[in-house]
Amino acid sequence: MIRLDDDQIPWHDGMTVADVLASVPDGRQYAVITVNGRYVSRPAFEHYLIPDNAEIRLIPMIAGG
Amino acid sequence: MKALNLNEIKTLEYKRPEIDRGYANQTLYVNVSETDIAIKPVSEDMKQTFVGGKGFDLWLLWQAVSAETGWQDPENTICIASGPMGGTPSYPGSGKSIVTAISPLTGSVIDSNVGGYFGPYLKFSGFDAMEIQGNADKEIVIYIDGVEEKITMFEAADLPQDSYGISSQLTSHFGGDKLRGISVVSTGPGAKHTLMGCLNFTWYDPKRKHVRYKQAGRGGLGTVFAHKNVKAIVARWENVTMDGNKPADKDAMKTVAKSYSKEIVTLDPKQNEMAKIGTTHLVPIMNDFDLLPTHNFKFGQHKMAGLIGKEAYKDIFDPGFDGCWMGCTVACSHGIKNFIPLTGPYKGQHVFVDGPEYETIAGCGSNLGIFDPYTIAELNFYCDAYGMDTISVGTSIGFVMECFENGVINETDTGGLDLKFGNRDAALETVHQMGRGEGFGAVVGQGVRNMKAQFVAKYGGDEAFLNDIGMESKGLEFSEYMTKESLAQQGGYGMALKGPQHDEAWLIFLDMVHNYMPTFEQKAEALHWFPMFRTWFGLCGLCKLPWNDIVPEDNKDSEEPAKVMKHVDWYAQYFSAVTGRKAEPDDLIAISEKVYNFQRIFNLKMGFGTREHDAIPYRAMGPVTEEEYESRQERYDGQLKDEHGEDIEGKSTAEKVATLRKLREEKYETLKDAVYARRGWTPEGIPTLSTVKRLGIDFPDVVELLAQNGVTA
Repeated sequence: MIRLDDDQIPWHDGMTVADVLASVPDGRQYAVITVNGRYVSRPAFEHYLIPDNAEIRLIPMIAGG
Repeated sequence: MKALNLNEIKTLEYKRPEIDRGYANQTLYVNVSETDIAIKPVSEDMKQTFVGGKGFDLWLLWQAVSAETGWQDPENTICIASGPMGGTPSYPGSGKSIVTAISPLTGSVIDSNVGGYFGPYLKFSGFDAMEIQGNADKEIVIYIDGVEEKITMFEAADLPQDSYGISSQLTSHFGGDKLRGISVVSTGPGAKHTLMGCLNFTWYDPKRKHVRYKQAGRGGLGTVFAHKNVKAIVARWENVTMDGNKPADKDAMKTVAKSYSKEIVTLDPKQNEMAKIGTTHLVPIMNDFDLLPTHNFKFGQHKMAGLIGKEAYKDIFDPGFDGCWMGCTVACSHGIKNFIPLTGPYKGQHVFVDGPEYETIAGCGSNLGIFDPYTIAELNFYCDAYGMDTISVGTSIGFVMECFENGVINETDTGGLDLKFGNRDAALETVHQMGRGEGFGAVVGQGVRNMKAQFVAKYGGDEAFLNDIGMESKGLEFSEYMTKESLAQQGGYGMALKGPQHDEAWLIFLDMVHNYMPTFEQKAEALHWFPMFRTWFGLCGLCKLPWNDIVPEDNKDSEEPAKVMKHVDWYAQYFSAVTGRKAEPDDLIAISEKVYNFQRIFNLKMGFGTREHDAIPYRAMGPVTEEEYESRQERYDGQLKDEHGEDIEGKSTAEKVATLRKLREEKYETLKDAVYARRGWTPEGIPTLSTVKRLGIDFPDVVELLAQNGVTA
C-alpha cells in the first residue's frame, strides 16, 4: 500500500507517478508531487518508480513565486 | 545600555495619535540637509485613493520630486510605509513595509517590499509613512521613539560600517532590556560604492538572542540611503496587540485571522513546508521545469542543482519557527547559525546568515555556476552586511562571467579575477570588491545596463550581443526565473512597472506548465488581474506568500484555482474588518488599479513609462546563441515546425535561431498590444484620459502630463 495524501491505495511493482495520478480524478492538473518528502515534477512522472509504503503528497503549485 | 558616540542635533516631541481603523492619520517628514522634522496630516481622500503602503509612498514621492530629479539630488525622498493592516500580529504576513525612491539603477520610481518590524513600529509610533529628504553632510541616525513620543536626529560617529554591526549595536543601545522593541533600518558600505544598495530591516530574535534582518533589495534604495548619509533609522515600540490597529470590527478580524492561521498551520506541512525550509523548495522544482537560471540565464537546468535546494538547506538551516513578523504562521525566515565565513572581514568568526531564500540561491548560485550551499550562504551574508541586493549582484556577476568566457573582458580588465562560471573564489572576491568600491567590483556594482555601455566603449564589446545577454530591463536586473518558454512571464517582467521583478506577476506555471492561457487575450487578462492583486498587498502592509504559496485543499475544485479565491475573499474580509471600508474581492482589484496606473504615470513623469521602456533582452525570450539552441534543439525545432509551420529542413542552427527570434519578438509585441488594451492604456503604453478619470486619479498635474504626451482622450 502507499499513502496518497490522506488515502491508502494499493501498490504494484513498477508503479510510476503517472500511474498514481491516473487513478486520481483530477490527477492531470498536478505538476509537482512529493514522494517520501522528495519533489518529483511532471517531466519525470512517466518514469519515476514509486516504492512500496511510499507517502505521496499532491502539491498544488500554480501561481506562487 | 551600551554607550555610542551619538550627538543629538534635533528633537521633536509629539503627541502620539490613537490608531484608528489601521491608520495613524499622519506621516513623518525628516529633512537631513536642513535638520528639519515635521508631521503631516493624512486626508480621507489620500486613504480612499492610495490606501497606504506603496500608495502613500508614491503620493508623497510624487509631490517631493520633479521630472528633473535625479537619484542623487537632495529632493529625492526615501518613503517608507506599512499599511492599514500592517502590524496585526495574528493574520499571517501582516508585517510588511514598502520603500520607494527614485532609483539609481532605473532613474525612475522604484518600490521594494520588506519584512521586519520597522513598518508596524513606525505606525504604532504614530506615522503611516515617513519621508527622508535631503543629503546630510555628516552621518545621521534618526530615532523614532513611539514610547517616549520623541523624534531625534543624531550625528553619528564611530558606528560600524556594515549593516550586520550597525543593526546589532543600535538595537543594543536603544533597546535596553527590551530589545524586541527595536527595529533598525540600515545599509552598508556596498550601498555607497555600488548602485544596487539594499536596506536591511531588523527584528530581534529572542530565541537566538540575535538581531535578524530582511531586505528591501531592489533598485538601489540602500544606495540612495547611503548617499543621503543616513546611517540608520531606529523605531521603538513595545506593545503589539491584536487591538493595536483598532480595527473597525475586531471580532470579524479575529475570526478571519484565526481561520487563515489555522489553515496554514494545517496545510503547510502537507505542501511546501515553508515553515521548515523557506522558499528553497523552489530550487528543485524550477530546475525540473528548465526554469532555474544557470550561467547567466543561458540554461534553466543543471545536474548539480540538487546540491543547493531544499535537501541541502533543510539540514543547514537552524531549526526554529521563524517569522519576520510576530505571529506569522508561514514563518519562512530561516537562517544559518554559527556560520564561519572563509573570506572577508568576518573570516573565521561565527555569524548568523539570514537566508538564503530562493532568489539568492539562484542568483548567487546556479546563475553563476556555483552549486555549493556554503559559498551561496557566504555570498548572502556579505551582500546583506555590505548592503547590496543579492538579485542584482547575482545577475550582474552572471553577466560579467559570460562576458569573460566570451572574451569580451579578460583577466587584465578584471584585475586578475578569473571570472569563469563556477569560480567561487572569484565570485566572493568580486562581492568584497563591490563592498569596498575597489577594483573590478566597482565596475560590476554599476549594474548590467551601465556595464553594457562600458564594455562596448572601453573593450570593444559587440553591442548587439551584450544587449541580448545583459539581463536587465528599465535598468533593473532580472530576478531569478527563466522566461524563454513563457510569453506571459516575459510580459510579467517586461511590463512590470519598476523593472523585471516577479512580485507583479509570476505566471510561468499557469502559462508554460498548465497552459491555462493559450491566447493573447487570456495572457493579457492574467497580466491585468495578477499585477493588480499583488499590488494590493503592498498597499496594505501585507506579504503575498500566504495567499498562494499555501493553497486550500479544495482550491482545485474552484472556478478559478489560479486566483485562490477563497483566500482573496478572506483578504477582502480582513480589509473590511480593519478599515471599515466594505470590500468584496473585485473591489480589491479596483483599489489597486488606481495606484498601479498612478505609478505608470509616475514613470512617465520621470521620462519613462512608454512602450519602448517595456523592452526585454532577447535572452529572456529565446536562445541567443547556437549553443543555447542546440542544447534544446528538439524543443525549438519542434516549435518551428509544429507551431509555426516553418520548413527547417537543411537550415543551419544560425538560421533557425534567427527565424525563431523573429517569431518570438513579434509575439512579445503582440502581447504588449493586448495588455495595454486590457489595462486601458494607449498603444504607446500610457493610461488614457478616460482610464485615469474612471479611476479618480485625474489630478490636474496628471492630466497635464498626459496631454504633454499626446494623451487627451
